[in-house]
Amino acid sequence: MSNTRIASLLSVGALALASLVSPARAEETVKVGVLHSLSGTMAISETSLRDVLLFTFDEINAKGGVLGKKITPVVVDGASNWPLFAEKAKQLLEQDKVAVTFGCWTSVSRKSVLPVYEKNNGLLFYPVQYEGEEESKNVAYTAEAVNQQATPAVDYLLAQGVKKFYLLGSDYVYPQTTNLVLLEYLLSKGVPIENIGGGFRKDASGKIISAGKYTPFGHTDYQQIVAEIKQFSAGGGAAVVSTLNGDTNVPFFKEYAASGLTAESCPVVSFSISEDEFRGLPADKLVGQLGCWTYFQTIKSPANKKFVADFQAWLGKSTVPGIVKDGRVTCSPMVLSYDGVYLWKACVEKAGSFDVDKVRDAWKSGLSFDGPGGKVTTQPNMHLTKNVFIGETKADGQFKILKSFDNVYGEPWLKGKFK
Amino acid sequence: MRKTFSIITAFFCLFAKLGAEEARVSIARAALAKGESAQGVILKELMGRADESILPLLDAWRKDRLYLYEPTGAPGVPVLLEGAKDGKGAQVAVSVATGKAIGLRLVADDLNSVAHSANLRRIMKAVLDLTDLSSANRAKKLGALAAIGQGQQVEKLPALERRLPLETDPAVIKALREALALVRLKSPDAEIRLAALRELESLQSLASTDFIKSLQKDPATLKDVRLADAARTALLAVERHRTVVDFGGTLFRSLSLGSILIIVALGLAITFGLMGVINMAHGEMIAIGAYTTYVVQNVFANGLALSPFGFSISLPGLHTTGWWRESYFLFALPLSFLVAAGAGILLERGVIRFLYRRPLESLLATWGVSLLLQQLLRLTFGANNVQVGSPAYLSGNWIFGDVLLGWNRVFVIGFATLIVVGVWLVLTRTSVGLLIRSVTQNRSMAACMGVRTERVNMLTFALGSGLAGLAGAFLSQIGNVGPSLGQSYVVDSFMVVVVGGVGDLVGTVISGLGIGSFDQFTQQYSPAIAGGLANVPFVGGALQNLAQDSAVFGKILVLCVIILFLQWRPSGLFAARTRSLD
Repeated sequence: MSNTRIASLLSVGALALASLVSPARAEETVKVGVLHSLSGTMAISETSLRDVLLFTFDEINAKGGVLGKKITPVVVDGASNWPLFAEKAKQLLEQDKVAVTFGCWTSVSRKSVLPVYEKNNGLLFYPVQYEGEEESKNVAYTAEAVNQQATPAVDYLLAQGVKKFYLLGSDYVYPQTTNLVLLEYLLSKGVPIENIGGGFRKDASGKIISAGKYTPFGHTDYQQIVAEIKQFSAGGGAAVVSTLNGDTNVPFFKEYAASGLTAESCPVVSFSISEDEFRGLPADKLVGQLGCWTYFQTIKSPANKKFVADFQAWLGKSTVPGIVKDGRVTCSPMVLSYDGVYLWKACVEKAGSFDVDKVRDAWKSGLSFDGPGGKVTTQPNMHLTKNVFIGETKADGQFKILKSFDNVYGEPWLKGKFK
Repeated sequence: MRKTFSIITAFFCLFAKLGAEEARVSIARAALAKGESAQGVILKELMGRADESILPLLDAWRKDRLYLYEPTGAPGVPVLLEGAKDGKGAQVAVSVATGKAIGLRLVADDLNSVAHSANLRRIMKAVLDLTDLSSANRAKKLGALAAIGQGQQVEKLPALERRLPLETDPAVIKALREALALVRLKSPDAEIRLAALRELESLQSLASTDFIKSLQKDPATLKDVRLADAARTALLAVERHRTVVDFGGTLFRSLSLGSILIIVALGLAITFGLMGVINMAHGEMIAIGAYTTYVVQNVFANGLALSPFGFSISLPGLHTTGWWRESYFLFALPLSFLVAAGAGILLERGVIRFLYRRPLESLLATWGVSLLLQQLLRLTFGANNVQVGSPAYLSGNWIFGDVLLGWNRVFVIGFATLIVVGVWLVLTRTSVGLLIRSVTQNRSMAACMGVRTERVNMLTFALGSGLAGLAGAFLSQIGNVGPSLGQSYVVDSFMVVVVGGVGDLVGTVISGLGIGSFDQFTQQYSPAIAGGLANVPFVGGALQNLAQDSAVFGKILVLCVIILFLQWRPSGLFAARTRSLD
């Protein structure tokens, strides 16, 4: 008998043993999916969400789990590959039979898995600011809707006396849709169209189909755009509304600083830069620039202090392979992931069952959780009511909170709403 | 006489002292006031007051260094923390209202700093603007003038008028005249408004466009023919000036983009152009240069801890400060050349020398090396981008007649000129250059003449790689430094070399500048041109929409033009006639 055969026999035996043991253990655990990109371009951002989810599961398990069952995470890698996201979602729902999935970052990955969740009647918790115009009964949007980020930021700028807005973004669905909504919003607030910079695209009938200036991912030459902004802001009272994504912010802000523009003369409010992004951005170049999220690490509440300290302590002890332990921060998508897990737990406990339909009904009844960013409440339209904060970047990559809007109702359908 | 004078001085000091007390008290009162608007009202009272305590106190407030000491059961006291920290981190607390110590030592972290919103900061700025008007700092003065002009606050007119005869700096005088004219546009007197418009016309003030336009909409202006006329001609003058500025700016941006293209392509012009090696790892040589700059920066600061493959290496820091720290970049330049040249030698000795006559294999092998190097960088420095700061001498700008010249861009242009001249001198005026040229023109013949071709190859490749490293040091100043940095530039480099004509440095320079200018000019003018074509049936609207994405549109057009150009001249601008390239 060769060694391999002994090994295979042994493994068959082990499998048989495992199958004998597992029914007893399955009673005490519940499988939960984690679907984020752990490799590829989005890995930098999404790995943080996996980390915070694993931390949350450990925290809940230490207190006895959900309905007396311990959470067992099934972590899969979407690899920044959108069709792969759909395959992995299918695997989670059909093979692993997870009770719920926490995942996705980009809108395109969400759009890619959506049919899978709708077909299998699964439940996905989506934690990252997005463009709205979507409301599926199979997705719990803990994310910021446009009216929980973009329009409050514009309100703030208007109150500060800003009269001219330059729209700038990366070329994909989130910035394009957000800027169209913002265009309508600004017009409804009495900002004349000639005071909205970045240009427009029109269809054959003259209707505006795209507002603002867009650059591709990885664009490096912002000379011309910054020169345009410089002229746009020459008369004062101007601001840039930026949905530039990822590392294109570096050449943009370097060019912006070199041209003599400052946060005082022409502030930039960015919707895609949170504390976590500052691990790869020069924060000292962005001092004074604005951010708008439903959570900042600098929120001074006991709940937030505990959350940050517990997460750091968990990271210190963590044995997850390859996890980054130094210089970690917390940010809005991470906290919305954390809130999502606790809201799911609350819904399950109210429903008394892991069944998706019953959990959804519990969600629609309006449950609350006091998270690190304050109270969040579930809404019948699968979104969340939450607090919104405007912050100003400090040199250490944190935000100083300037203003807060309490209990903003999440509203996904905004196109054509502001007249 | 002297006695009288000293009495008067003493009297003035006393008076100033009294005034100072007042401002201190109002700032303390503002810090305690409830609500942003109440605070704003108190702060606005300080406007125009010449009081030395205003600047440090408001500055401390703006920078979160004004704290609120809140003893239980007593009203809060706004304090500043001064002096050295003791063992517990406590400092002497000085009351804002009295300017005297309150007899306590407090720790900054235990106290709340007095809050301030952007609105309040704007009011503080308006207060400080008037103080800044007499500031010795030119930038501060210009900033204050721009703010006052844009604010159009008539109450500041006397302060501005008083400054006019005192200034000597032409730029400040121009800014002052502009601010005066902008504020006077608000004047109730039509004659003054008319004069202001004429002044703006002669100043060709770009900042005034919005203000003139809003004046045009004013019914009072519409009734007055002379005003409406003056507004129209002023706007026309400004727009004419804007066209000139746009053109000048585009020319400068073309030069800077062209210089960057030349810098990244020059190394390739040598390895690919002269040696005929298709080096796909050229981009990674650029990345190595950029990372060298990053390491040098950290060594000049506080050191750097790296953990490649689980080993931990920690580089000690020199903890330099001030000018020395800023000068890191000057040291990084030669080092990035040397490190990349070293990597080039390794690559040549290890891989390329076996593949000199087999371009396809060298393409594949160097592509593999490029992936390897990327992963090596990722393992050593992490997958995230690293941050390379710009020294102060690279982050300012000059303004010539409203055309903005960023120092980093000027530096790139100057540096590109320097290295092009340097490389040309090396190739044509040194014996090494002579050997390089002989080997690239005819390898076998050179070998027959006793040239050690192996060594010359190695040196040439090292030179090309070193130049790529230099390019990397530069790119760290304008963009991201990450493991895939090289990928974004390798295509551009090949494009420049191919258009320029393989094997010719002059060609590389001309093609770099040409592609750079083409790209910038399309970005600047395509929306205008497409706007002109909007009425063309079928394609007009589509063209206009395409031109709206001018950043992308420029790139697309450049590629199209290059494809057409290569149809016409397949071997580029300057085709070298050597047998080894056939």
